[in-house]
Amino acid sequence: MKTFQMQCKVEIIRILRNRYFVFWSLVMPIIFYYIFTNLVNSDVPNKAEWQAHYLMSMTVFSVMGSSMMTLGIRMVQERSQGWSTFIRITPLSDSVYFAAQMIGQSVIHALSITIIFIAGAFINSVSLTPIEWVMSGLWILLGSLPFLAIGTLIGLMKKVETAAGISNVIYMVLAVSGGLWMPLEVMPKMMQTIGKWLPSYNFGNGAWEIVRGELPNWKNILILVAYLAVFMLLSKYIRRKQEVA
Amino acid sequence: MNEILSLNKVTKSFQYKTAVNDVSFSIGKGEVVAILGPNGAGKTTTISMILGLLQPSSGEVKLFNRQPNEKQVREKIGTMLQEVSVIPGLKVSEILELIRSYYQQPLAMKDLIDLTGLTEQDLKTRAEKLSGGQKRRLSFALALAGDPEFIIFDEPTVGMDITSRNRFWQTVHYLAEQGKTIIFSTHYLQEADDAADRILLFKDGAIVADGTPAQIKARISKQSVSFIVDPERPLEKLYQHEEIDDIYRKNNRVYVQATNTDRVLELIFQEKIGARDIQIERGKLEEAFEQLTSGTKEAI
Repeated sequence: MKTFQMQCKVEIIRILRNRYFVFWSLVMPIIFYYIFTNLVNSDVPNKAEWQAHYLMSMTVFSVMGSSMMTLGIRMVQERSQGWSTFIRITPLSDSVYFAAQMIGQSVIHALSITIIFIAGAFINSVSLTPIEWVMSGLWILLGSLPFLAIGTLIGLMKKVETAAGISNVIYMVLAVSGGLWMPLEVMPKMMQTIGKWLPSYNFGNGAWEIVRGELPNWKNILILVAYLAVFMLLSKYIRRKQEVA
Repeated sequence: MNEILSLNKVTKSFQYKTAVNDVSFSIGKGEVVAILGPNGAGKTTTISMILGLLQPSSGEVKLFNRQPNEKQVREKIGTMLQEVSVIPGLKVSEILELIRSYYQQPLAMKDLIDLTGLTEQDLKTRAEKLSGGQKRRLSFALALAGDPEFIIFDEPTVGMDITSRNRFWQTVHYLAEQGKTIIFSTHYLQEADDAADRILLFKDGAIVADGTPAQIKARISKQSVSFIVDPERPLEKLYQHEEIDDIYRKNNRVYVQATNTDRVLELIFQEKIGARDIQIERGKLEEAFEQLTSGTKEAI
């Protein structure tokens, strides 16, 4: 138990000390949020709804990024610097290590969500019912699972540079085509059709539904679960292949 | 049960080469053993198999009579790998606390610092900013964090300056006095000779000699009796004795090589060849090492 607590604590400290995390997951989403809700697009019909919608977009954007990049790159770093090898010789069990990574990551996500929500409440005085705040926060926390699985896939890469480059591209493509930067409705028909099947859109849409006073679609949940399963299996498969080699 | 480690007919083949070939040995409690050999002799591969990081292609490795990767084994071993490992984003003191938390009975933080010579400054430094020497000290501290019974070092002194090296070996002596079992690999003969009470000499993936430094020396290095003698004096009589391996002249002295030097002395007096200034020469371990690890296998 002491090991587990310690491991969680350490994972959290490490993320907070990571400048890329602070920049990409906290500073950037808040700046984007300010820009897109105040400097552009100010002539939307229902301003309050747009501000709440976009706050969700940016929070989803933040959590999606740290799930994939922070986790993935850290895994590559640990392996390339010999740390993973050293850990294998200690009594630390794989399950404790893995669980601590996930818990540490979730605590960080909860923190990001809280900070960005508070920023939204301050910048545009977004006001939601307490239930909506909590529900959307929880949705974002749980919905990050498929992206954590993508993170573990990225974590299987050999070099930190490759992992950082590739995860950045995936991150941006998913964010834009999933409608996190601008709503899917303003995009060409083709993009909309594809976008609706992407994990990023389904992740975002659940939160958008909640702030509109609805419940997330069953379809959103099913698609995210399906992606989670696929990425986990893929990650496991590649890992096994790498071990054999 | 005093056997800490045993390897039974262990072989490890990679795609193109056999790195370790049919190696068997066992180590008892309290032994300090050096795995000595040139680069590419299979030292690191052997250590990786002992640690359970590599699976042998055939044969069996047992630590504390268990599989190397069992948790009970992990609790009792500490290791310093050749490739120094760090975890980015944490200070040295935090890393040590973390690793200590993995073990049921870790070494007290103070002891850890005292033993490894980590400074206040080191402890506050983040892992990614450590110098090579600091990383080595951290690595050493990580090996001792769990207060292990069995310590495995792979080329521990590579990259250490003389001061750290001396300090390191002092600590190893101290740990040995505490009854720890220690195995380390090195390609420095001097280190093996100074620090170990047993040497396993590796060459081409196999053990070519196993014994105390003195035994190895006695076994492989040629001993000889040298003396000054009137150059006119014939030495044929000595050649007739089978115990003598070789006779040659060097720097005005005659050298008589043989395994049993006492017998040579006896012969010298018996044959009355008028030898003066007689000396018994023992081969240097360095030479023996060279002979064994380079050149042909016939030397063994």
